[in-house]
Amino acid sequence: MQWAIASAAFLASAVEFVEAFTIVLVVGVTINWRSSLVGAFAAAATLALIVATLGVAIVQLIPINVLRLVVGIILILFGLKWLKKAILRYSGLKALHDEEAIFEEKMAEIRARGETIAPRLHPFGVALAYKAVLLEGLEVAFIVITFGSSISKAATSSGITSAAIGAAIAGVLVICAGILVKAPLKKVPENTLKFVVGIMLTSFGTFWSGEGFHYDWPLSDAFIPILAAIFLLASYLLVTLLKQQKRHQLAAAGAPHDIVSVEAQEEVRS
Amino acid sequence: MKAIKAIYNFIVGDMIILIGVLIVAIALGLIGYVAALAPLRVAIGPILIVAVLVILSATLYREARGKR
Repeated sequence: MQWAIASAAFLASAVEFVEAFTIVLVVGVTINWRSSLVGAFAAAATLALIVATLGVAIVQLIPINVLRLVVGIILILFGLKWLKKAILRYSGLKALHDEEAIFEEKMAEIRARGETIAPRLHPFGVALAYKAVLLEGLEVAFIVITFGSSISKAATSSGITSAAIGAAIAGVLVICAGILVKAPLKKVPENTLKFVVGIMLTSFGTFWSGEGFHYDWPLSDAFIPILAAIFLLASYLLVTLLKQQKRHQLAAAGAPHDIVSVEAQEEVRS
Repeated sequence: MKAIKAIYNFIVGDMIILIGVLIVAIALGLIGYVAALAPLRVAIGPILIVAVLVILSATLYREARGKR
């Protein structure tokens, strides 16, 4: 066991596992756990197949930057779509009583009657969890192989084993931590969760797209929270601006009361 | 045609976001691979962040105008 390699692989892999698990977790909480876990397990199976087929040649054969770019751009598209809807709801420009809300209402009615609902497989959720786990899993495989091969050629095999052990421990710890935060996350209002997911998807998407274009972010992966803070601040400003605009419109029209706006404010308060 | 529309709705469902992100991707691709634009490579990150914010603002602006 080579402790230096195992520790380095543990730390580097932990970051990748946290990124993948965050997306699996939010898909599970906001969409449903069935879709999230199907996506995650399908990605794990794909990953196992790739690693079993290619072995250490994976580092040369998989164009990781192209993969980062494609996944990054798709995540930006998904993230902006969610963020736009959440901002419109917060600012009162989008009625809460839309198709999704009607669907949720019906589900609540069924639950109230004591009937069980089989969670349907949501393609969006499956795809999101699949992409995140596949990309981050590949990055972990790259870390294990490159860290493991970084020592002398004679010790490459034991180096890869040590790196794999470090990565596996990181994976188990991240999953355990995720299970612990699962319950508190359920108490967060749904629109808030969707807003946070939009911020996170856009942040991850921007980060991975930048890497796909060979851009080295300052502070490396630690720049993701900074990106999230930038998008959060911008979203707050946009919500404030849109609310002001709506108030001006209502004042100009002489409307004394607005149902949509009140509904949105109630949801923000809840 | 129905399949294309289903994929479009599944991925984004908003023309401003889709076209905006594609334009940014093409522009950053050019910056990344055209030698003459090499000095701009250090700014890929900030350009990407600003572009995402501009796209978000543009699509929200269109929605806000549509509600008038």
